[in-house]
Amino acid sequence: MSGEAVVFWLFASLTVASAAVVVLSRTLIYSAFALLATFFGVAGLYVLLGADFLAATQLLIYVGGILVLLLFGVMLTHKIYDLDLRTETTQIASGLIVAGGLFVILAALALKTEWPGVARVPAPTTAGIGRLFLGDYLLPFEAASVLLLVALMGAAMIVRRRRDA
Amino acid sequence: MDELTRSLAWFRPELALVVGLVLVVVADSFGGASRNFVMRLLTTGALAAALGFALQLQAEGAKAALFSGMLVIDPLSAAFKLVLIAAGLLTVLAFSFRNSRELHGLGQGELFALVLALVLSCLLLAASNDIVMLYLALEMVSITSYVMVAYLKGDRMSNEASLKYVLFGAASTGTMLYGLSLLYGLAGTTSMPGIQEYLAGGIPDQNRFAVYAVTLLVLAGFGFKIAAVPFHFWCPDVYQGAATPVTALLSVLPKAAGLAITLRFFYGTLSVPESGAWDLAGSIHWTALLMLISVLTMTLGNVAALTQTNMKRLLAYSSIAHAGFLLMGIVALSENGARGLLVYLAAYLVMNLGAFLVVTLVHLHDGSFDLRDYPGLYRRAPLLTLAMAFFLLSLVGIPPFVGFLAKLYVFAAVIEKGMGLYATIAALNVAIAAYYSFKVLKVMTIDPGNEDKPALKLALADQVWLAAFALANLVPLLFWDRIEGWARGALVLYAGG
Amino acid sequence: MIGLQHYLVVAAALFALGVLGLLTRRNAVHVLMSIELILNSANVNLVAFSRYAAGNLGGQVFAVFVIVVAASEVAVALAIVLTLYRLRRTPNLDDADILKG
Repeated sequence: MSGEAVVFWLFASLTVASAAVVVLSRTLIYSAFALLATFFGVAGLYVLLGADFLAATQLLIYVGGILVLLLFGVMLTHKIYDLDLRTETTQIASGLIVAGGLFVILAALALKTEWPGVARVPAPTTAGIGRLFLGDYLLPFEAASVLLLVALMGAAMIVRRRRDA
Repeated sequence: MDELTRSLAWFRPELALVVGLVLVVVADSFGGASRNFVMRLLTTGALAAALGFALQLQAEGAKAALFSGMLVIDPLSAAFKLVLIAAGLLTVLAFSFRNSRELHGLGQGELFALVLALVLSCLLLAASNDIVMLYLALEMVSITSYVMVAYLKGDRMSNEASLKYVLFGAASTGTMLYGLSLLYGLAGTTSMPGIQEYLAGGIPDQNRFAVYAVTLLVLAGFGFKIAAVPFHFWCPDVYQGAATPVTALLSVLPKAAGLAITLRFFYGTLSVPESGAWDLAGSIHWTALLMLISVLTMTLGNVAALTQTNMKRLLAYSSIAHAGFLLMGIVALSENGARGLLVYLAAYLVMNLGAFLVVTLVHLHDGSFDLRDYPGLYRRAPLLTLAMAFFLLSLVGIPPFVGFLAKLYVFAAVIEKGMGLYATIAALNVAIAAYYSFKVLKVMTIDPGNEDKPALKLALADQVWLAAFALANLVPLLFWDRIEGWARGALVLYAGG
Repeated sequence: MIGLQHYLVVAAALFALGVLGLLTRRNAVHVLMSIELILNSANVNLVAFSRYAAGNLGGQVFAVFVIVVAASEVAVALAIVLTLYRLRRTPNLDDADILKG
């Protein structure tokens, strides 16, 4: 097996295995750390696909931002030494059937469909993405700033204690 | 740079809203005793300016792709923008922090800013021409809505509702995103006209399954936005849990924007014009699928509304049913269908906002949303009851109200295409809707109860708005040729990039 | 030889696992994590297509926007979870029962 294949299988199995832990683990903390591993795995896959900027963004934002936020959420809303033995998963059998069926359908779709074969030679992407942000994709880029303003304002407003109008 | 200046010229309504948004946020942070008044003034001003610009755009009748193909400007999108901005403006004018008991004492700045952001996002969604813009605008509408629903943060029910909304919404749009990613893979571009070109060029047999799968996945996102079955589960809880003015706004704006983009996506991207611009044929057979969704939606909505006693939940299920009727316009896949959708949305705006205004006012004075507390309102608030009668009859679709004309349009479009069974089921649904609407009226007028309660003293502003909405449901009949002309002129769909 | 199909199958697996989590988890934060899996699966699709099928950077730009949206959603969702927890002391969805579905 070539070097690329070895690395791919490494990252792919890391990603899928930790995703399985996220979904199946009883404890929220274990799921959170498994999610961390999933994000790392995905970042690795991005590097293999020649998306260097995206891999860095994934690590910075998903791991450094979103995951930290999730961990805060977990810590602040869950007693770590929770002695409640009630099972947290419901109807796991039917869930597995649905999800399993979904995987089979989507994988078959991926394998059967004839995708256009226009390949991109891996090259540093940062400049290209930057040019697109300020060129073709300028409007979504600017609109995203309104989105972030709303999310920021909204989250802060929801969480803070009552203030007088 | 030229592209930018050229596009900005057509971007005036959205720019007015952005300026308003920034000014409201600034005004809110600078404090001052009169800041609530200033913010309300700024919001109304921005919306009025946007409405003015949108009217100008409609008059100019431009057809172009803006911002390197991210947005499209054409008479149809200009018409939708008018409806969307009008919805926002009317809600801000008719509902306020004064006449809503739920909003008393809460900070006003954020809500005004959110209203402006919501209208802005809806405008972007209705005119999207690229799947990146589509996804971003859809999420902007969604996230703004989530925050607005969570506004009553001291209320447990409101928090539960907004949490269900967020999780359900994020899951639906995530599914849609997976579909969009497959679409990008198939067509090699994020531009919707480019995708249409790819689909119109003939889909190889082994790729057909992928296109069907994409349609189903994308419908998860669209269906969630318009509250169609089976993506409607969040609707009754969210409508009940949010403050009623927010519910009124959410019942119109995201739904209208969602339907606008659904129309554009199915007519523009998933269809091919044959002999004329409006003689469309689907690249794949999606009409049957949408028809099924439409039937399920209107039936489930109407049947569920039969047993509701909470007025907000009743109107929520009614709203779900109306999404089913609105989809008739898209299923018809014709010029008449698009016209029907547009007219129905404009009518739906005045019917629904009016009904929610009545519910808000009753809650303000009596403190209840329960239908069982509604007897005797005929005696205690005759104007309010009369207005409610107008709204309910219009919602059912009884002549001479504007709701009847709207239903006439969509029914005609569907019958013209030979979908007789579909039209019959829809007609049966009108009957079911009539049952619960008349039930509400019966409770308000004939049922005994509440004899000891005093008459409702409505503020002058509230009386004026009730009368205005009631007349808006009745008067359009007289100006029908004008409205017909407006709708006809709007039917130009620009599908270039 | 690693090709497009390999990445697509990985993405499909992530999507399916995310859906499994949606269907079976009762804790809101767990559901949120499952949604993140779904979003990541779509992103892997986008980047893989960008490399092997579309040949342009559009997919990668799309993926960046998805990350932005995901961050905003998580922020708002967690804010609501926190408020709910304060009011009620549980972020479990099944305990959110005041509203009958």
